[in-house]
Amino acid sequence: MTDDVQTLVDAVALGSIYALMAVGIGLVFGVLRLVNFAYGQLIMAGAYALALTNDQPVLLSIALCFAVVLALSLALELAAFRPLRRASPTTMLVATFAISYLLQSIALVKFGAIGKIVVVVPKLSEPVTIGGVHIRWITIMTIIVAVLVFAALMVLLTKTTIGLHMRAASIDPATARLLGVRANAVITAAVLVSGVIAAIVAVILPMAVPERLLVGPDFALRETIIVLVGVVVGGIDRLLSATLGGFTMGVAVGLLSGYLPSSGAWPFTSSVYLDSAVFMLVIIVLLIRPEGLFVRGRHAALERV
Amino acid sequence: MTDRRGSLELIGPVLALALAGIVGSTGFVDPALENEFKGALVSVAIVVALYVFVGNSGVVSFGHVSFVAVGAFAAGVMTVPVALKPTITPGLFAFLGEHSVGNLASLALAAVLGGLFALVVGIPLMRLSGLAAGIATFAVLGVTYNILNNWEKIGPGPLTLTTIPETTGLLQATIGAIAVVAVAFAYQRSRYGRKLRASREDPAAARAAGIDIHRERLWAFALSGALSGLAGGLLVHLAGTLQARDVYLDLTFLTLAMLVVGGVGSLWGAVVGALAVSALDSFLLRAESGEVGFVDDLLGKPLWGGSRLVGVALFMAVVLVFLPQGLTRGREFHLPRLGRRRAVAQESSA
Amino acid sequence: MLEVSGLEVRYGTVPAVRDLDLSVGRGEIVGLIGPNGAGKSTTLHAIMGAVRPSAGDIRLAGSSIRGRAPEQVVRAGVALVPEGRRIFTELTVEENLRLGLAGRRSKDGSAEALERVYELFPVVHESRSRHAGLLSGGQQQQLAIGRALVGEPDVLLLDEPSLGLAPTVVDTVFGALLAIRAQGVTILLVEQRAQRTVALADRTYVMSNGELRMTLGPGDAGDSRRMVEAYFGSS
Repeated sequence: MTDDVQTLVDAVALGSIYALMAVGIGLVFGVLRLVNFAYGQLIMAGAYALALTNDQPVLLSIALCFAVVLALSLALELAAFRPLRRASPTTMLVATFAISYLLQSIALVKFGAIGKIVVVVPKLSEPVTIGGVHIRWITIMTIIVAVLVFAALMVLLTKTTIGLHMRAASIDPATARLLGVRANAVITAAVLVSGVIAAIVAVILPMAVPERLLVGPDFALRETIIVLVGVVVGGIDRLLSATLGGFTMGVAVGLLSGYLPSSGAWPFTSSVYLDSAVFMLVIIVLLIRPEGLFVRGRHAALERV
Repeated sequence: MTDRRGSLELIGPVLALALAGIVGSTGFVDPALENEFKGALVSVAIVVALYVFVGNSGVVSFGHVSFVAVGAFAAGVMTVPVALKPTITPGLFAFLGEHSVGNLASLALAAVLGGLFALVVGIPLMRLSGLAAGIATFAVLGVTYNILNNWEKIGPGPLTLTTIPETTGLLQATIGAIAVVAVAFAYQRSRYGRKLRASREDPAAARAAGIDIHRERLWAFALSGALSGLAGGLLVHLAGTLQARDVYLDLTFLTLAMLVVGGVGSLWGAVVGALAVSALDSFLLRAESGEVGFVDDLLGKPLWGGSRLVGVALFMAVVLVFLPQGLTRGREFHLPRLGRRRAVAQESSA
Repeated sequence: MLEVSGLEVRYGTVPAVRDLDLSVGRGEIVGLIGPNGAGKSTTLHAIMGAVRPSAGDIRLAGSSIRGRAPEQVVRAGVALVPEGRRIFTELTVEENLRLGLAGRRSKDGSAEALERVYELFPVVHESRSRHAGLLSGGQQQQLAIGRALVGEPDVLLLDEPSLGLAPTVVDTVFGALLAIRAQGVTILLVEQRAQRTVALADRTYVMSNGELRMTLGPGDAGDSRRMVEAYFGSS
């Protein structure tokens, strides 16, 4: 019983991280119709910033992480996304693939293939016992941070002018521009907010997921792939459905890895085949509902993409 | 007229590949470069195989390396000498562990398995298009990698498969690449290929004209899978060793980018893209090790380590961002003067 | 106020608008009518900068606005009520109106501009916190006009505002246009309802096949022979 609760809480925390990434990817997709495969490399850059400043005060280290991720986000927008505005979605996706690969190569050349340890706040990795259930502080923190980020995002989107413009631009960019909404301002804002979220994930991920304690060139790559899949399965056209897709994916991965045995002779009998199970699930969902699981009856957007 | 002129389009790719083969084999170049020529030719085979589906259908597939992987693993596992199998891959199913085949048979097996796998996967998947198709094919890649990387009854699992005969010589690589190009060309000229290309330009009109898009896509996908499998066989016999991660994300990215760099819309683009990126890759590799004279003279030292990785990635990113239609802009190869004269002749006769 | 000269727009190689000259004086209501595919909407989109003209010039109060992006044209003082209204149905009525504020040259006076629109269209005021998708066609049209007006444009372009509306609702919309003109806004009205447009406007241009065919005055509205001629082109 207590084991079950522990597994569930861990799964929800993983879901929260994936949901954060899904929102970051979904925000940019909304205004740019661009699936940013390089999102994981933004997180990687942030994690490197943390790892290289392990000996600095933690706040300085985190500030640096944010600065690096935001600068990189802005650079991507100016150097790559902007010239690609009129390209087909496929070209854009392949181009972000290329950018992801470029950033990985740079990291590999600069820092080598061997991971660097990321130390943020070691205390957060210690467990706390609540009613016989051992939960690490970072697990609780992750869920709280995610909830706060979503609340802030809601306020931004519904209460501010730039948020209103972002929503309008993702629903109907042509009409929004005809009303005077500045496309570049809205896109830059979305890219920056998405960058802030990437930086937050960069801080959380090394503490929350034990396999991500080390940052290497392919840091957060697996997460990005699974989240991208989750976002499309949920329905990339809507921020909420994309987020739910990411969250569901995280919870599913968390639960399956908690319950499956760690070895087995045949496929799908152990947790090493977890990715297969997830991807099979995705294929089935896409076949049944190509427009996404959490979107109600809108084919058009995905078809166009 | 059109057909004769059309078949001229095949000259460019075939000559380019034959030239690569000949140059690679003669003493004109450093014999050590031979491997890089072979690698470039195998890349052409993979990229053209990918093109057969993506270029003709207009649907992007991120899963093609699955078929390369299946071909590579089939050809690899089935050519490791039987005597060594108990040591290298002790977990294999008995019938896999007790038999091995020759080089050509293993290539045929790779093509058949790649094609069959694509056919089975394609039946449900070819109903999708756009982003959904992209993600679904990517999911196929994920499953394939995950299983190949773990299941020790059909391969090395997380270990490396070694002692695979290195039978892909320059001749075999050249013939293999030309064969893949020829099949791709024949397909795109065929009734099936034309129907599929029509559906790429205007799906609604194609449907109205009675074209079964799902079926046409499926044929292209299966053919493309078979060619990918064959290319995988060539690849594994070139390298001599194989790990699941050799045929996963990096190769997917590299081959897709080669295709887009050359130009997705044409066979010529697939060939040019694969050769251009391979050439740049080899050049930077040599420059890094101080073997390119003028770079040494220019910098006063060899190119710094890692330039190759970053340079290739940067080149691809730049082409993708600033030349989204690729180096060939989706056009087929044509002999400029001849082509113009014919066009003029056609116009005056009309 | 607004002058279009020698305008040509091509879609691929097909010209949609050819050598078009038209001018709208300050405070005028000018109509632009013609059959489907005549190039009326294309002309409005060219003025807004949403499509790029291949030749000709567009001048606003004497200075050229050709080649500017839509968001810049809006800031220069031109607003469009697009065909089919293009209301954001998932946003509330008030949010739709606030989107119109994006094109304002100055943030001062936004509240007053909103107030004036609410006065002009009381029904928009009543439903301001509802989702715009819940409004009727006529209400949505009023919202679309109001959304263009909160930017306080000098020139208002309307693309078939009466499309799909019941006759009584059309009265409301056309009546509103007079009230808007009275506030000093110059209006270019693209319409299918030829007779009503000719009667309302100070001048009405007739387009077909991308070209200007003739110009009608308010007196022509009662002349059915002229109207038929305008559409079917018998000379």
